[in-house]
Amino acid sequence: MSKKLLKWNEDRTLFPEKNSEGKIDVDYDSHKFMKIWHGPQHPGITGNMSLELTLLGDEVMDCETHVGYLHRGFEKLMERRKYIQCFPIVCRVAVPEPDFNEYCFASAMEELAGIEVPEAAEWLRTLVLEMSRLQSFLAWIGGQAGSLGQGIIGQWTIYLRDLILDRFEELTGGRIYHMYMLPGGVRGLLPDGFRQRMTENLDEIEKFMKDVKKVMFDNAVFKKRTVGMGVIDPAWINPFGITGPNARAAGVAKDVRKDNPYLKYPELDFEPVVGKDSDIYTRADVRRRDLLMTVDLIRQIMTKIPDKGDIRAKTPNVLHWKVPAGETYSRAECTRGEYGYYMVSDGTEYPRRINVRGPSYTHAVALLEKMIVNANIADVAGLMVSLHTYPPEIER
Amino acid sequence: MQTIIENLQKHFQVVSYHQQRENLGFLIASKEVAVGLITHLRDYEGFAHLVLLTAVDWIEDEHFQLTYLLHHPEKKVDLGVRVMISRENPEMYSIHHLWEQARTYQRELREMFGINFPGSPDVDKPFILEGWEEIPPYRRDFDTKEYSEKTYFPRPGRETHDPAEYMKKKLYPNE
Amino acid sequence: MAKLNDILSPFTAWKHVVREPVTIKDPLNREAADRYRGFHKNDISECIGCGTCESICQNAAIDLVPVEGVDTKDGDSGLRPRVDYGRCCWCGLCVDVCTTNSLSLSNEYTWVDEDPDSFRFVPGAENKSWDNREKGYKKPGNGYELYNPKREAMEELEPEKRDQSFIEIVQGYSKEQAEQEADRCVECGICVATCPAHMGIPEYIKAIRNDDLNEGLRVLYDTNPLPEICGRICTHKCETVCSVGHHGDPLSIRWLKRYIADQNPAEEYKKILNTENLQPTGKKVAIIGSGPSGLSAAHYLALMGYQCTIYEKLPAAGGMMRFGIPEYRLPYEQLDKDINYILSLGVEIKYNVTIGKDITLEELHNQYDAVFSGTGLHMGRSTRVPGTDHPKVYQAVDLLRDIVLGKEVPVEENIVVIGGGNVAMDITRSLARLQKQKYGKVGVLATSLESEDIMPADREEVIEAREENAVIDPGWGPVEIETEGDKLKGLHVVKCVSVFDENRRFAPKFDEEQKKFFPADMVVESIGQGMDLSYLPEAFKEQLDMDQRGRILVNDDFQTSAGWLFAGGDIIQGPDVIHGIANGHKAAMGIDKYLSEK
Repeated sequence: MSKKLLKWNEDRTLFPEKNSEGKIDVDYDSHKFMKIWHGPQHPGITGNMSLELTLLGDEVMDCETHVGYLHRGFEKLMERRKYIQCFPIVCRVAVPEPDFNEYCFASAMEELAGIEVPEAAEWLRTLVLEMSRLQSFLAWIGGQAGSLGQGIIGQWTIYLRDLILDRFEELTGGRIYHMYMLPGGVRGLLPDGFRQRMTENLDEIEKFMKDVKKVMFDNAVFKKRTVGMGVIDPAWINPFGITGPNARAAGVAKDVRKDNPYLKYPELDFEPVVGKDSDIYTRADVRRRDLLMTVDLIRQIMTKIPDKGDIRAKTPNVLHWKVPAGETYSRAECTRGEYGYYMVSDGTEYPRRINVRGPSYTHAVALLEKMIVNANIADVAGLMVSLHTYPPEIER
Repeated sequence: MQTIIENLQKHFQVVSYHQQRENLGFLIASKEVAVGLITHLRDYEGFAHLVLLTAVDWIEDEHFQLTYLLHHPEKKVDLGVRVMISRENPEMYSIHHLWEQARTYQRELREMFGINFPGSPDVDKPFILEGWEEIPPYRRDFDTKEYSEKTYFPRPGRETHDPAEYMKKKLYPNE
Repeated sequence: MAKLNDILSPFTAWKHVVREPVTIKDPLNREAADRYRGFHKNDISECIGCGTCESICQNAAIDLVPVEGVDTKDGDSGLRPRVDYGRCCWCGLCVDVCTTNSLSLSNEYTWVDEDPDSFRFVPGAENKSWDNREKGYKKPGNGYELYNPKREAMEELEPEKRDQSFIEIVQGYSKEQAEQEADRCVECGICVATCPAHMGIPEYIKAIRNDDLNEGLRVLYDTNPLPEICGRICTHKCETVCSVGHHGDPLSIRWLKRYIADQNPAEEYKKILNTENLQPTGKKVAIIGSGPSGLSAAHYLALMGYQCTIYEKLPAAGGMMRFGIPEYRLPYEQLDKDINYILSLGVEIKYNVTIGKDITLEELHNQYDAVFSGTGLHMGRSTRVPGTDHPKVYQAVDLLRDIVLGKEVPVEENIVVIGGGNVAMDITRSLARLQKQKYGKVGVLATSLESEDIMPADREEVIEAREENAVIDPGWGPVEIETEGDKLKGLHVVKCVSVFDENRRFAPKFDEEQKKFFPADMVVESIGQGMDLSYLPEAFKEQLDMDQRGRILVNDDFQTSAGWLFAGGDIIQGPDVIHGIANGHKAAMGIDKYLSEK
């Protein structure tokens, strides 16, 4: 980490003195300060949340995040439903990448119930998780470019994302909510010709990503606005619970796929993508390279995935499936970091408690509130998108 | 994992350690030692990453269970510290000084379960629910169905029949 | 210090200016993928309205509603699912769990309508444009099952071990097996209507899953005081309509019932069923016959506080259950467990008393407040073909009774049994055992009018009989029994082409060309039983309402036109244990009503 980059966060000479709580004393009567609400309806906010910003000029002095616009109480709803009835709910916790919810929920339940998932289903799950990662990155990259004024990237990547959604539709029967990884297995083998179409789509994505690199990343304006901006100090990684690309951009090679391998990842060849500078640009670049790695992983999976085989293990009757008492935590590396389900069973047909651990919880509240101070109002959206957060998983 | 627990037992009273799988274990610590134990785990054992902090309501046993799930980034193992606190006066020592995001968790637990963490910043500020007047909603005794029936109105025109009851009515009403 | 490349590179975007648009030209008519989960379809003739779709739906989007043109009947509730698209989330679990595979999702996903209520409809009953679409989401194969369609196998004695003795064949489920089997139940309750006693089948199966067998026993005794017996020999009509049986094996309801009864010790019955203190009413009821209907009536009357006395002609209780069903199917020990419990409620049995001989009906009428008659069908019917009056021609019911009574039973080396029902199988298999004991080999053949597919006997009876080396040769009509003096030569038969006419009435047709001869030293007839109502005095009979075939007519309470006389069981409903139990229960309630009003 270069000295120059850190300076942006540390140079406080312009700003009022902090009080004992580490905040500035805001005196609205002085007419120097202004309070504005950024969101919940704002194109620069990923999903519905709002930032209550205190401004001095166009600099952010203080920020408080407000969530709850999407609160549906999933964790509580699940306590009132049989395990199988939770299955259509979980995908809705994180809209843009539902499959990580499905996987974590299913695998936690399978672990407690002692169920081995068939080989073919494991491969299909791995495939779906990587497809989900790919389409989520493609949606994000458009958001990142858009929040910094480049609308065209979003138009390209949403088209590319739609190609993946077509494959999702073909494989799982749904475009956004796939409801595919049922506890015990999955809901269908690869359709005929799927490999061929998938490969064509991946070629198209790789081709387009070259242009995205040229237009978005090798771009003086983009660099000017992102290099040295919004730096995450590597020392914050553990105190803030930072995971995923946000941590990897800071040089910490955290990746659940490698650290705590699950599904078929041990059979795939990949290395976590890491960055050095930990600014917005590096984070974006790490995600871009991660996206290309995902393309490669899907290619690897396509060569290894079986065409035949059982897709679901024998389980008890789902209408009254009693999961043995116990608790466990099941995690996966989602696009934004560590995703996990903490499941407590009391031995009945209903889960005692399910707690969803989404990376946005730490990234969008504690971390964002810290990073946003002293930023320029014009950079708030770009900064926020660079953390890649989804409010629904904060409020579950 | 076993050596970590053995080490831990030299310093703290650890009850009922349960190995869930190779890289995940759960132990129970008392409310009084928990924060010290967690600090020890973080500073001396290397459990630097707080994965999550949440609560489970064991209403029948009249206590809440707090689960602090800690991750060891080098050894890649997880340790869940379970703390039972009384449901009557739910209060726990804060760990906001150990992890920055802990204050968000504690704020949420205060709101959703009514568990207090004295000293945690903004712990009394509403987090997700603004203007909530009922009992904390994630407690087991909060009935979501009753609440929704009270708050919202059902769409008219819905009726259903139980097959067995309906067949009785149709085929053997007098028996 | 931006590099020159960073300024020029973004102009790459311009090369896309001339690219073809990727937007779909006609998005409203874009066809979805083959597996797409769109609007529901339901094959309404396959659907039985079991409601598992409703119970799995976490959104409460499915209601079960009556549909015009669909009648409620055995195995079909007459209800059909109605989907509310204001709530549906298209997860497709309703399709996955559908027991009849009738429900599916089409791949149609566009539908515009101004009336919000039209988005709530009964798929299959209300015509939609996608009803004939082939594509869409169906239940996946490849080992994908939400409940186990395979029945838990029942341990049985090997044929070699069982064909010499009368020890019980079916071993019964272990705890694990019973719980596995109970787990398969989808709790639809379609079976309840078909069970003559309308037992709480889903409830007692649930009790097994919850490992609460005391509760299970309570559910059983609500409607059936002979669970050990029914758990073994019930005709299990419930299993024929089980929704799981549509695409898999039906639940083993009978063996599960037996499991509950077997696991509860007889000594604790009174405590479990809370029958330790019954409040006597001071009224007395006489019951004729200790078969299923009589015992059932006695049980429920005793619970209501009536003093019951059963009059039994034979030296032991149970009627056909003891004297008609061989011990290898129903061990006496289990029979006695059920009967002794009923006796422990204060029911008295007078053995070896024949009504009309030792005591008259009139005397009973005078001594008791009401009388229930469940005398059953104990007289074997004859085919009346030439030769049936030969001494080597026997009636199955007589032989079965004699075996139980321990009398000497004639066992020849070659025997032919005429009949295709369960009684025919019982005598065939009993004789096979006796032959094995006497001659070391089996030489018994059973033939029936009905061809194999419509034989009234339970399928497993036929299979097991063959396993025990009996020959079953169905589809023949008896013509003559050839005799020579006191010796019997065999049975002449002709091919039976059909048994019933278009109106499903009994009218067998034969092909006289196809003949066969079954050589035998002895013939046993087992083509049905008749009743013996000689205990009713002639003068009384004339006052009683009866139909042309000489059967007593009863009302819904099983009350005869005499008022004080109730009747039930086989003499009213034909031979079946579970019907008898149901009759006895209803008659008990009828007697209670009659005596309370009196």
